[in-house]
Amino acid sequence: MPHTRYRLFLLTVALLFFAGLPLRSEQDLHRVWAVKDARIVTLSGPPIEKGNLIIRDGLIEAVGANIPIPKDAEVIDGAKLAVYPGLMDALGQSLLKFPEEKLDMARIRAGDFTDKDRGITPGLAALDYVSLGKAVFEKYHKLGFVAGHVMPDRGVFTGRSAFFLFSDPDKNKALVLKDICLGIGFSPSSFLVYPNSLMGVHAYLKQALSDAIFFDQARSRWLKEPRGQARPDFNPNLEVLADFATARKPVIFLCRNQNDIRRSLGLTAEYKLNYYIADLGGEAFEVIPELKKAGARVLATVAFKAPGSSLYAQRGRAEREKAEKEVYPKNPARLAEAGIPFALSSLGSDDPKAFVEGIQKAIEAGLAREKAVEVLAKTPAAFFGLERALGTIEPGKIANVVLSEGDLLAKEAKVRFTFVDGRRFELKEAKPGEGEKPTVNVSGKWEMAVEGQMAMNLTIELSQEEAALSGKLITPFGAFDFTGGTVSGKDVAFEISISVGGQDLDLFFSASVEGERMRGSVVQGGAGTAEFTAKRIPG
Amino acid sequence: MKPKITAIGIAAALLSLCLSGRVSAAERAVLLKNGRIITGNGATIDGGDILVQGTKIAQVGKSLPAPAGAETIDLNGRWVMPGIIDSHSHIALEGDVNEMGDIITAEVDCKDVINPRDINIFYALTGGVTSIHTMHGSANPIGGRGIALKMRWGKSAAELIFEGAPLTSKWALGENPKNSNDIGMGPARYPKTRMGVEQSIRDQFEKAKDYMKKWADYEKKATAAKASKGKTAPPPPPKKDYRLEGVADILSGKLWVRCHAYQSEEMLSILRLCREYGVKLVCFEHGLEGYRITNELREYGVAVSTFADFWAYKWEAYNTLPQAAALCAKRGVLVALNSDDAERMRRLFNDAAKTVRFGGVSEDEAIRMLTINPAKILGVDARVGTIEAGKDADLAVFNRHPLDSFTVCEMTLVDGMVYFDRAKYLEERKKAAEEEKTKKEPEKKSGGEV
Repeated sequence: MPHTRYRLFLLTVALLFFAGLPLRSEQDLHRVWAVKDARIVTLSGPPIEKGNLIIRDGLIEAVGANIPIPKDAEVIDGAKLAVYPGLMDALGQSLLKFPEEKLDMARIRAGDFTDKDRGITPGLAALDYVSLGKAVFEKYHKLGFVAGHVMPDRGVFTGRSAFFLFSDPDKNKALVLKDICLGIGFSPSSFLVYPNSLMGVHAYLKQALSDAIFFDQARSRWLKEPRGQARPDFNPNLEVLADFATARKPVIFLCRNQNDIRRSLGLTAEYKLNYYIADLGGEAFEVIPELKKAGARVLATVAFKAPGSSLYAQRGRAEREKAEKEVYPKNPARLAEAGIPFALSSLGSDDPKAFVEGIQKAIEAGLAREKAVEVLAKTPAAFFGLERALGTIEPGKIANVVLSEGDLLAKEAKVRFTFVDGRRFELKEAKPGEGEKPTVNVSGKWEMAVEGQMAMNLTIELSQEEAALSGKLITPFGAFDFTGGTVSGKDVAFEISISVGGQDLDLFFSASVEGERMRGSVVQGGAGTAEFTAKRIPG
Repeated sequence: MKPKITAIGIAAALLSLCLSGRVSAAERAVLLKNGRIITGNGATIDGGDILVQGTKIAQVGKSLPAPAGAETIDLNGRWVMPGIIDSHSHIALEGDVNEMGDIITAEVDCKDVINPRDINIFYALTGGVTSIHTMHGSANPIGGRGIALKMRWGKSAAELIFEGAPLTSKWALGENPKNSNDIGMGPARYPKTRMGVEQSIRDQFEKAKDYMKKWADYEKKATAAKASKGKTAPPPPPKKDYRLEGVADILSGKLWVRCHAYQSEEMLSILRLCREYGVKLVCFEHGLEGYRITNELREYGVAVSTFADFWAYKWEAYNTLPQAAALCAKRGVLVALNSDDAERMRRLFNDAAKTVRFGGVSEDEAIRMLTINPAKILGVDARVGTIEAGKDADLAVFNRHPLDSFTVCEMTLVDGMVYFDRAKYLEERKKAAEEEKTKKEPEKKSGGEV
């Protein structure tokens, strides 16, 4: 009996041991891959019509027409596939998840404002708030995106960026570079605190840049010779700003329209900054001579929404929508034509899918598809100092490649595999119908209470047909129709464009439904986010 | 308050925007023939001609010969007056016109937020307005810097700026800066009394004087260090403070002060402060009770930029008269009629007519309130404000006398270029409407929206 017991014990230990082992993933089993007989767009030379690509231990080992297949390689038949460098989002923020904060109204009423209320958060680092995961990666991979440059985008000094590969949920493994750029926005505070106007933001920026340069000089003078000199006070914001104000590191101006672009060029000329223009209004085409003269590098949006300051927006909704179809999508093509270095940014696009749809619109509006691939791979790598690591298919570079059926970025293209950091991801055929099936019906009238500084009560009429949602928002400024909303599971999401005092505002609502109640948030570009609750009006 | 904007109307405005860009060439000549010219100098020339060369008026008179290659505009007996100058407005600015986050904001500058695509620039032209002064709001005792613009519709922000016009500093007294209309968000903001408003300005003057001294000392030491050829180490520079530099620019007279005020007591009080510090206070904005203190205003040489008949919208604006502008003018105070509003800007000539009707000023004086007087307040009277040789060819053409209640502005020129031509504009609008119609019809046939 003791003997049997002992064997049982051993078995248990063995089982526990195996159970405790992590499941070994494919990439651990295979570190060597060969893609055979594929069309390879390297971006480092002309495309190879029929070639092999060898990936070993995370890096590209070889690429070419007559490259032998190593014996230890797992082979993928590329006969029906095209191989591209992995695409990169040159500037995005959707991977950042900030903890939800409830606005303390007592604090606001007391005038006890923080730097965050003022939009002054240079210390905010993308690395600290990035949220990576398999589901997110899959969303990007199936569209050909394997890496992204991520930066907080709210406020005046918005925070610092980081560059990630979409390879590993562990952000420390996915990270390529951190604290690359500092975001500068022209968004005034929505509170009664300085700066709360655009002209105030401009003045504040000048003072802050000047202060940071002063701080940097005073500190280096003191470090060089502390005797006989007053020690400058430490200031955590200036500590961060010093690197960017002195052009040791680049800033990114988040420009909502062409006027912001001109303001940015003025500031960079005055303070000699190292900079990028994030053209979030899609109006760089209006400033081409100035951009050219300044030698500016542009990160262009593909959201194609006419800014409120534009004549198109002032001409009313129909004219604005027309311009958004016919004028703004030409922006990337016009930048390409003018020879202005640019990459594409997902800022302004709701999700990766919308980002790619925007890119396709830009292609339809005249941006050559080859150029699109270039500005989504080679250019962003070069912009952020990664041209030796990423952006083209060349031996020695990080193995970031996309294998697609059909030309990448074509509407009918299907991404079959991606390699990110040398790891293989296989993309399954997407099931028809994107989101979950709706489990609620929200049709009817709802009474909505928006909380926070913009507290108000609104009425909304919703009309749901399966997953599609449309309706009307009734506000003190008028009633505004919307279509194109979605219901997925018990979540609703919709966008409403409203017009207040001649300004057009886009409001994004997202909420979760529980029976007759709804709770969620509404986001308005510059003004930030507000929470809301809603209750269905019976009958 | 905003005028209703039809898509077609603006489409046409956009078209004329494109056209205005095309008409250029520095040395082209335009002869405006056979007009009734109100020169703004007291004379009216019936059947007069204006020769424009480049951007300037070359000659004003009768039967002027057209130089070779000159473009001729037949005025056909219509009226021409100097382009209207609106000395107090807030158009063509992007974002809020008030920086509410602090009480002294001398560092903020309207120049940084000019929006050249503001449709109100075009509307200004439709009312014969050729120059404006656009400025910070009245939330702060010392607000931001203002700037004079020319209504060069279609040009860039930099090109709109009235080159050479002195920059201004906007001040405000009374209810607005003491924030009496605040909505209860945040704590009460200093100052809460008229006394406090004035003191907050005085405090900044003292700070700015210290600041100026600090820099002067530094410059002196730096020069001495330079002269010592390395024997004395150069001193570290003081920290730059853009706000105090703005206040220092007020004290040095570089900025011309435009002070929002309604009541006579607060105007007198601020006059004393300005005299003490030697401030170049050029104008009270609104100044509704200015008619009570005309001697003091005249003595300091301060003008009033006001409304013809707009008052009683708040308690500090009660004690005025429809004759206020006229009374000030008759007693020798420089008076301008302003809009403070994008809509009123298009009919300032009606407001001028009211001062004739209700205040009994002469027609010439009423015209001056829209032209040379605001030009003087803005320091641009050598350039604009009258129709005479050597001045900028900024002109407004009307179908009747500009002070006639039924008059319509038909054409507006800035720098000798036609930026608004009503007949052409209406034609373009009609064409655009027709095009829109023909475009829409086939869509209807196919059924449903696209």
